[in-house]
Amino acid sequence: MPESKKGWDWEITSKTSYWGWSMREIWSYRHLLGSLVRRDFLLSYQQTVLGPLWILLQPLLTLVTYVLVFGKLVGVSTGNLPPVLFYFSGIVLWSLFSDSFGGTSNTFRDNAQVFSKVYFPRLIVPLAVTSTQFFRFFIQFVMLLLLIGYYWAFQDLPSPFSLITLAFPFAVICTAGIGLGLGLLFSVITAKYRDIAGTVTLGIRLFMYLTPVIYPLESLPEKYRWMVQLNPLTPLFELNRLSLLGEGTVTAGQLLYSIIFMIVVLSGAMLVFNKQSDKLIDVV
Amino acid sequence: MGDVVIEVENLSKLYRLGTIGTGSLRQDLQRWWTTSVLKQEDPFFQAHGTEALAANKQSILALQNINFKVNQGEVLGIIGSNGSGKSTLLKIISRIVRPTKGAVRGRGSVSSLLEVGTGFHKELTGRENVYISGYILGMSKSEIREKFDEIVAFSGVEAFIDTPVKRYSSGMYVRLAFAVAAHLEPDILIVDEVLAVGDADFQKKCLGKMRETSQTDGRTILFVSHSMQAINNLCDKALWLNQGKMMELGEVSSVVNKYIMGIQQFKLKQEWSTPAEAPGNDFIRFKSVELVPQLSTPDAPLDIRTPLTVKFQFWNMTDDVLLSTSLLLFSYGGECIFDVLSPASRCDKGLVEGECNIPGNFLNDGSYYFSIIVVKDTSVELYNYEECLSVDVEDYRENIQWYGKWWGAVRPKFPFRLHQKEMAFQQ
Repeated sequence: MPESKKGWDWEITSKTSYWGWSMREIWSYRHLLGSLVRRDFLLSYQQTVLGPLWILLQPLLTLVTYVLVFGKLVGVSTGNLPPVLFYFSGIVLWSLFSDSFGGTSNTFRDNAQVFSKVYFPRLIVPLAVTSTQFFRFFIQFVMLLLLIGYYWAFQDLPSPFSLITLAFPFAVICTAGIGLGLGLLFSVITAKYRDIAGTVTLGIRLFMYLTPVIYPLESLPEKYRWMVQLNPLTPLFELNRLSLLGEGTVTAGQLLYSIIFMIVVLSGAMLVFNKQSDKLIDVV
Repeated sequence: MGDVVIEVENLSKLYRLGTIGTGSLRQDLQRWWTTSVLKQEDPFFQAHGTEALAANKQSILALQNINFKVNQGEVLGIIGSNGSGKSTLLKIISRIVRPTKGAVRGRGSVSSLLEVGTGFHKELTGRENVYISGYILGMSKSEIREKFDEIVAFSGVEAFIDTPVKRYSSGMYVRLAFAVAAHLEPDILIVDEVLAVGDADFQKKCLGKMRETSQTDGRTILFVSHSMQAINNLCDKALWLNQGKMMELGEVSSVVNKYIMGIQQFKLKQEWSTPAEAPGNDFIRFKSVELVPQLSTPDAPLDIRTPLTVKFQFWNMTDDVLLSTSLLLFSYGGECIFDVLSPASRCDKGLVEGECNIPGNFLNDGSYYFSIIVVKDTSVELYNYEECLSVDVEDYRENIQWYGKWWGAVRPKFPFRLHQKEMAFQQ
C-alpha cells in the first residue's frame, strides 16, 4: 500500500526500529529534561534538615569511612598522595559512574506509571538522570578543588596541575558515558526480568573493587594487574588522578581502549533502548 | 470538516497472558534464535495466526481487525463495556503501546489525556506541577508561560499555586491537573474517561471547553466515556467496541441506542436447561429468570418510563408444599428499595412460574438489581437467588431545564398538583 502511506505525518505499526528516534524530537522535549532534573533536585532535598548540603555530605562521609577503614585499618597504600585527596577524587568520579548506571538502570520500572499514560521520547528520562548526576558531580568537584587548594597552600603539596589536567573532562565524560550506556542496557533487561535489578546494585558495588578507586593501580602485584586493566574504567580513573593530582599510570593505548568501549556500549545501548522501549510498556 | 486525519487499518493487539518469569527468557531466546539466526517465521505469531494464539488461552486479543477513519474537526466517541478494548485502542493511537498487527496513520500533533494529572508529583508545588505536566503532555515552554495565568484561573486554585499539591484537597488537585490538560492545543486530542472525576460543575466546564475547541479550531477529538449523556452531547460520531471487535460505527445517537439495547439483551435473561446446572438447592432449582421491558418500539431505549415485567420459572422438588415468592429490588449501592411478596400457592413437584409487573414512571435512572426468595409456609426461606437480574434504567426528561443527577432511589409519578390559590393584593 505505498499509496496510502503518502501524505501522512506519522504511522504506528508493530515494527520498532533501531534508528527510529530523531535528535529533533528529543530537542523539542529539552524543557521536559530540564524540569525533570529540577524535580529530582527538589525532591531529594525537600523536607530534609540539611537540604542540598547532602550533595557534599555524602561523599565526605564516604571519605571518612575510607580513610578510617582502608587507610588506617587495612593500610592500603595511596602512593605519595595524601589519602584524603586520593580517596576523594576517586569517590567523586565513582559516584558519577555508579549513580548514572544505577539510576538509569531502573528507568522502566520507576516510570512505568507515566510511560503507560503518555508518550514522550523515553530517552529523556535516562538523560535527565545522567544530567542530574553531572550537576552533583560538578558541585563535588568544586569541593575537591578546594581540598586540593588547601593541601597545596598548607600541606606542601606540589602544584599538581600541568598540561595533562586538560584531559580531565575527557575522563569524566567517558566515565559518565559508560555509566549511561550500561544503565540503558540494563534498564531494558530489568524491565523484563525484575530480579536483575538487585544484582545491578550489588554488581556495581563489587565492581568498585576492580577499579582503582581506593588503591592505585601501581600498588597491585604485577601478576594480578591485568585483571584490573581489563576494566575499561581503570585507565579513566588513573587519568582522573593523573590530571588532578599528578600521579597515575596510564598509556594512550589504554585510553583508546576505554574510548572504544564507551562508544560501542553507549551507541549499542541507545539502539537497543530505542528498539525495545515501545515494546516494554506491555511488560512492565 | 474535511481531510482524514486518522486512519486505523486492520488493527489488532494481542496480549500475552501469565506471569513473565523463567519461562519467558527461554521463550525469548527461542524466538530470537528462530527469527534472527535461522531467519524463519516467528513461531509465536505468524505460524498459527493471532486468532489461533488467542484461542489457546495463552493470550487475549484486546483488539481485532479495527478499521476506521476520522476526519478533521470530528469528535468521535468510543463506547463499550469494561474490557472491550477502548483503552487499548487509545493507547495505540497515542503511541504508548504498539499494535501486534495493522497500522495507525495520522496527520498533525497528538496529545493524549489518559489520566488526570500525568506527571504530577505530590511533593511539588502547583506551579512546578503545571510546568512539568505541561511539558510531559507536549507543550512548549512559551506556550505554558503564555497560558499559565489562564490555567490557574480556570482551575480556581490561585491562592495555593505555590503550595505543594499534597496539601490540596482532591478536588483542587483534579481541577489543576485538568486545567493544564484543557489548555493543550494539539491537532488531535485523545481523552479517556477523565471526566469521571471532579464535581459536576467542573465537568460541565471541561466538556464545554472541549466542544468549543473542536468547533472553533477544527480540533479532532477521540473521547471515551461510560456516560452516554456526555457522549451524546459532545460527539458527532461514535464507535462501539465489544470484546475487541467493532460492533457499530456511525452517527452518535443511533450507535448509542444500539449499544444500550445490546447490553440490555445480554443481561436481561438467564436460562438453564437441566436442574443439575441450575442455581438452587435440594428444594428449589431455577429454570429461568427474565426481565421483559414493555418498550413502545423495539429499538426504544429502556428508560424511566418503561414498565418492566419480571418472569421466572423454577423446579419445585417437594410435593404438597405451600410456596410464596419475594421479589427484592436493590439499588446499585446495595440498598433495598422494595420487597414485594406474592400470594402463597400450594404446589406439587414440577415447574412453577411467577410474574411481577413494575409500572413505568417508578424507577429513577441508574442501575438496579433483583433478588428472588422462595418461601415455604409463608415463613421459612427455601432459597434466596441473589442478584439474579440487573438493569440499567436510562434517564428521560421532558420540559425540564435541569441536567443534574435526579435524586432518590425511585422517581414515581405521583399525582401532584400546583395551582394559584389566590392573587395577592387583589380586592
